[in-house]
Amino acid sequence: MITAEGLTKRFGDKTAVQDVSFTVKPGTVTGFLGPNGAGKSTTMRMIVGLDKPTAGRTSVNGKEYRRLRAPLTEVGVLLDAKAVHTGRTARNHLRAMAATHGIPSSRVDEVIDLAGIGSVARKRAGKFSLGMGQRLGIASALLGDPHTLILDEPVNGLDPEGVRWVRQFVRFAASEGRTVLLSSHLMSEMAQTADHVIVMGRGRVLADAPLDELVRAWTATTVRVRSPRIADLASAVASSDVEIVSTSPDSLDIVGLPASRIGDIAADRGIPLHELTPANGSLEDAYLALTGESVEYRSADYSVKELA
Amino acid sequence: MTTTAAPAARPRVASTHRLTFARVLRSEWIKLSTLRSTWWSISIAALFTIGIAVLVAGAVNVPGFEPIQAVVTPFQFTMLLAGILGAIAVTGEYSTGMIRSTLAADPVRGSVLAAKAIVVGVFLFISSLAIFILAAIAVMPIFASRDIAFPGDDLAGAIVPILAASFSMAVFALIGVAFGFLLRSGAGAIAATVGLLFVLPIIASIFAMPVEGWEWITDVSNHLPMTAAQSAILPQDGVGLSTGEAYLTLGAWVAAGMASAWAVLRTRDA
Repeated sequence: MITAEGLTKRFGDKTAVQDVSFTVKPGTVTGFLGPNGAGKSTTMRMIVGLDKPTAGRTSVNGKEYRRLRAPLTEVGVLLDAKAVHTGRTARNHLRAMAATHGIPSSRVDEVIDLAGIGSVARKRAGKFSLGMGQRLGIASALLGDPHTLILDEPVNGLDPEGVRWVRQFVRFAASEGRTVLLSSHLMSEMAQTADHVIVMGRGRVLADAPLDELVRAWTATTVRVRSPRIADLASAVASSDVEIVSTSPDSLDIVGLPASRIGDIAADRGIPLHELTPANGSLEDAYLALTGESVEYRSADYSVKELA
Repeated sequence: MTTTAAPAARPRVASTHRLTFARVLRSEWIKLSTLRSTWWSISIAALFTIGIAVLVAGAVNVPGFEPIQAVVTPFQFTMLLAGILGAIAVTGEYSTGMIRSTLAADPVRGSVLAAKAIVVGVFLFISSLAIFILAAIAVMPIFASRDIAFPGDDLAGAIVPILAASFSMAVFALIGVAFGFLLRSGAGAIAATVGLLFVLPIIASIFAMPVEGWEWITDVSNHLPMTAAQSAILPQDGVGLSTGEAYLTLGAWVAAGMASAWAVLRTRDA
């Protein structure tokens, strides 16, 4: 269990995190989303005591991180892959970390195998690729077999096999009753991994809800219909709060009516349907709708003209 | 959302695995001993110490020249290696981001500072002790060829300066550690360490003249780490500090360094 209460962090006159409160529950994977600069990493750093909050407090399992008697067995942290001395081998790095808690080197070898870095464990970390560095960071987080995992962008730079491994690993950890807080920019990945999401924007919590609830609240369900009498169907369902987009001569995308209602209307009028497919909005759609106002660093919009 | 009672996580790592200061010391020792730069610095210090000791012993053949002077004189060069080793033991963690792993494993910052200081200090003391003893052994045949028995009957006269020189090397390394935590950047910490240990004594010696109103410069000069170390290693009557004052001064440098390092480490974001 991770809690944040009224957490605020100011750097000079810039407020990175403002009055953030949330609870991350055990047994679930909680996704931490937000645009660059939204304050996710700063929040994570405050949870593990690296940054001092300007106001408010955080706790892990009811205790402030600095008061934990065995931080590594309580919390596994991956803040960035670059938290390793480049001149030391991966194995020696893990040995040094393990030594602080008297964790035996048999466990060091175990996490090396678990993270799949056995072949490079005796190479210096400075020569590691981004993906290998990430795996070393994950190995480091797992050393103490912690009850809580805080992973900032764990799949960044990983190959597809690694991405899947992280997903399965955190799902398994949550199923064992562990607490997992995970940030990522890969919405499709997050949609497959998280049960619950906390969305931040400009230092504030924009949403804190179960994933499916969030998607439902922030996206509309689109129903794709295909019919030889598409024009009749369009006029039958038309109303002020229904949006109809023609996608081909015999199909429509309808937003604002459930698939069942469209099917009933068609049956009433004897309009044959060749397709009736509801498509739920994605986490990405929900995320973009939610954060649209709060993106700190906006990319330029491409128009067709610019691209041509 | 429906919540099913999650099974409690079964700890695979026994609960005896918790943070203790002794374990943090061990971790710091693993960190120091698994960096090549550590062994490079010590090897170069050994090479310089023994080489300069042999050169001085061979070249200086004047009455009143004590063999032990040849053995400990090289500290004026190797002190820089001690200071730099101490500085990069800290700044290496900041430049690579390792410090975040270190502080996540041991969030008690005072404990991280103390462990690093103890490991660096003790390592420098023991390795310097070994190096100075090797240097003493290396110069023995040179003095023996002049019928000077070294160490001779006055064993303490040889051992005490070597212990004092080794202690001084530990002090220089700890000054480097303090600058490392204060400045975080390798270049900055090394420049500050070299400035305090090497450059300031030179500047002070230029102005340390018996001019009225300038006596304070001599006073300051006597309390710089390098000159205080000279007084501790081979005290000279009427020049510099007394032995007691010299040790007190070196201790004060370490205390001041550690206090300022702790003041910034405990409040700054990592």
